[in-house]
Amino acid sequence: MTLSLVALQLLNGVEQGLLLFLVASGLTLVFGVLGVLNFAHGSFYMLGAYLAFWLAERTGSLLFAVLLGVPLMLLFGFLVERLAVARLYQRDHLSQVLLTYGLVLLFNELSRLLFGNDVHPVATPALLSGSFKLGEVQSWPAYRLFTSLSCLVIALLLRYVILGTRFGMRLRAGASNAEMLEVLGVDVRKLFARVFSAGVALAALAGMLAAPLTTVYPGMGESVLVISFVVVVIGGIGSVRGAFFGALLVGIADTFGKVLVPSVSSAVVYAVMAAVLIWRPRGLFGAPAEAR
Amino acid sequence: MAEPILELRGLSRRFGALRAVDKVTLAFERGRVHAVIGPNGAGKSTLLNLLSGELRADGGSVHFRGEDVTRAPPDRLSRLGIGRSFQTATVLEGLTCEETLRLAAQSCLRSSMRFFRPSDRYPEVNARAERALGECRMTARRSARAKDLSYGEQRQLEIGMVLATSPQLLLLDEPLAGLGHDEALAVVDLLRAIAVEHTLVLVEHDMDAVFSLAAAVTVLVNGKVLETGTPAQIRASPAVREAYLGEEEP
Amino acid sequence: MTARQRVQALLCAGALALLAVAAVGDRFWLQLFGKAMITCIFAISLDLLVGYAGLVSLAHAAFFGLSAYALAGLTNRLQLVNPLLTLPLALAAAALAALCIGWLSLRAAGVYFIMVTLAFTQMLFYLFSEAPWFGGSDGLYLSQKPLLSILGRPLLDLGNRTAAYLFIFAALVLSYFFLSRLLRAPFGRVLAGIRGNEQRTRALGFSTARYKLTAFVIAGAVAGLAGYLDAALYGFVNPAELGWRQSGLLLMTVLLGGRGTLYGPILGAFLLTFLEHYGARLTDHSSALIGAVVILVVLFLPRGVAGLVERGGRG
Repeated sequence: MTLSLVALQLLNGVEQGLLLFLVASGLTLVFGVLGVLNFAHGSFYMLGAYLAFWLAERTGSLLFAVLLGVPLMLLFGFLVERLAVARLYQRDHLSQVLLTYGLVLLFNELSRLLFGNDVHPVATPALLSGSFKLGEVQSWPAYRLFTSLSCLVIALLLRYVILGTRFGMRLRAGASNAEMLEVLGVDVRKLFARVFSAGVALAALAGMLAAPLTTVYPGMGESVLVISFVVVVIGGIGSVRGAFFGALLVGIADTFGKVLVPSVSSAVVYAVMAAVLIWRPRGLFGAPAEAR
Repeated sequence: MAEPILELRGLSRRFGALRAVDKVTLAFERGRVHAVIGPNGAGKSTLLNLLSGELRADGGSVHFRGEDVTRAPPDRLSRLGIGRSFQTATVLEGLTCEETLRLAAQSCLRSSMRFFRPSDRYPEVNARAERALGECRMTARRSARAKDLSYGEQRQLEIGMVLATSPQLLLLDEPLAGLGHDEALAVVDLLRAIAVEHTLVLVEHDMDAVFSLAAAVTVLVNGKVLETGTPAQIRASPAVREAYLGEEEP
Repeated sequence: MTARQRVQALLCAGALALLAVAAVGDRFWLQLFGKAMITCIFAISLDLLVGYAGLVSLAHAAFFGLSAYALAGLTNRLQLVNPLLTLPLALAAAALAALCIGWLSLRAAGVYFIMVTLAFTQMLFYLFSEAPWFGGSDGLYLSQKPLLSILGRPLLDLGNRTAAYLFIFAALVLSYFFLSRLLRAPFGRVLAGIRGNEQRTRALGFSTARYKLTAFVIAGAVAGLAGYLDAALYGFVNPAELGWRQSGLLLMTVLLGGRGTLYGPILGAFLLTFLEHYGARLTDHSSALIGAVVILVVLFLPRGVAGLVERGGRG
């Protein structure tokens, strides 16, 4: 493997990891704060991609599609939280898994109903259609650079919100101890709804950004969901920082796996997860187990 | 002096900067009721969790009948003969009293990896469960679901579960906490009866109960042993009075 | 009639009805009821984990699928058709996979466990969809169905519809008795203790991790039995059987019927099999129908149909 190929794979891995972080951060936040394991999270990624496809066709611009789509998905997330997820806060994991699984089935059929079974391409914005040369043969598309940078900006923004604002303080309090929130006099219902819709919007945004790269097709959310679970398990549930490093690790492991061991490439990230489980059963950034 | 059944040597456990249990050295003698008291946050519960294996010690060691059991997990300690009760009555939801005690009594089988014969057809399990049912005075309530019991009855069942494992040493975590007056009396009476044949380590808040039951009392303050002695010695100790009893005694 | 008697009456009536279906021998009904009974076996094995050990596993489809693939591999590659050989080997494959996945997943408690079992299931799904020697995403046909013959005379031919149906029926009855017996035995009582309060059960001297892993392996092997029968009934295996959707659907079956009751998941399996079959006839989007049912059951029927059966007498 030449140096430029390594560099290319590394860049691709980081880019894939950063996109994955957008999905996984929402998943880990929703679990950390709301205590809900959301299997429908991948569906929001898928719905985001479809929305980007549909809006980009109407408006002729992916940028407009994103600007219109993200608020729409925020609203959608709010509705889903109020109508379905809010009924799960006092329920056990099995109910959570099943209700959100039901949502996955519904959303999948919804997208098939509206857009059929076809694979839809989404055009890369003209401004970002170029690419950078890496060595003699390889080149890296400008759009991937743009995606990576956007994700990085959002990651930094998220970091600021969580560490530097009142909202973030409540969020952290809620993640470590939900009763604390009541003591602090926080409107828990409102906080939960906000966190959930933010998570939905993050996943949808990832789907929108990924749409030109992966095309848009039914069931595209499921593989992302499973990989996000892997990320969250590796990073530690509830830890956004863990999700960030976990996502990068998974992204890089996946891209290199595809080059180095193509026949079993799909198993590579799971092998990484198994290794982390053996080494640190609660993830890299999870709280260590207290009782034995 | 009788031989100690359980010995702690410099046992320590920290939570962050807090030294919950700080170099505790203690010996519990066979056949006695030894109470551990102390103000809230003195480290009583942590100590008990260290002894029953729920928590891991950072330093020091625990010796049970001469064997080092510092790192043994809870299930192994139970099989060795250290039974513990829990403060919040942790009844097993969905099981009746009889089923609960039969489960505890299964510990007399070499292994419960038995898949065919129903558990109520093991004579030794039945005999043990029946005896524990009597010992914790719940025979009349055998078919009641554990979650339908009164708070006091749950405590009795909790103690019965420990007895059904035939322990040589019972660690009891605040068996009277949260009980009404009559319920507490019933449990004290039960403990007195058990103490005839068993060694008890009793972590408790209720001073009257402690002084009426215990042959030895250890006072724990800020994770350290302040004093150990007979109830009379402890009652008379100025240090204990100052640290702890002052506010409780009239 | 007590709840228990009502359940027994229900099960007996159900068994007779299933035998009556065999007597009629109509091809369509044999296939549909055969499928339903396989789902029953599959569902009660998951109930051992979800309803009794308190383990919400999404890996269950993996063991079903692995066993089905094992039968296909043994038949097609090694020309083994004797079920006395292929059945134990397929079950052993499922049990071994359950041991590995269970050992890793059980290191992770609670919600981690759910996610990890899902992840390993998907790993197997991707491996089987991509690996060419297992037919890829198209799946694999069995070159021959299991056949047991003694001295050249066929004793049990799973290629025969009625024989296969009766074999599945016998497997269901045996699995049910095996599991209900297991649950009353010391092992099952420890599981009940773990579901009630794992910490307390451990303090009673039971190494709960080992009991959970054993339950996971046993459930995996029984799921393997269901997978074997499925492959034998249809003569076909495909990677979708391994996927997490299958696991999710099965969890739904258990919840719909009533977890922790053993007979409940049997009811759930019949209900869901018919719902799937007739739903698919009704509309192209039957998954949406199932999704809606899942959501409604979670919200309004948390104890499942079994909850209704048990409440029935009291009005």
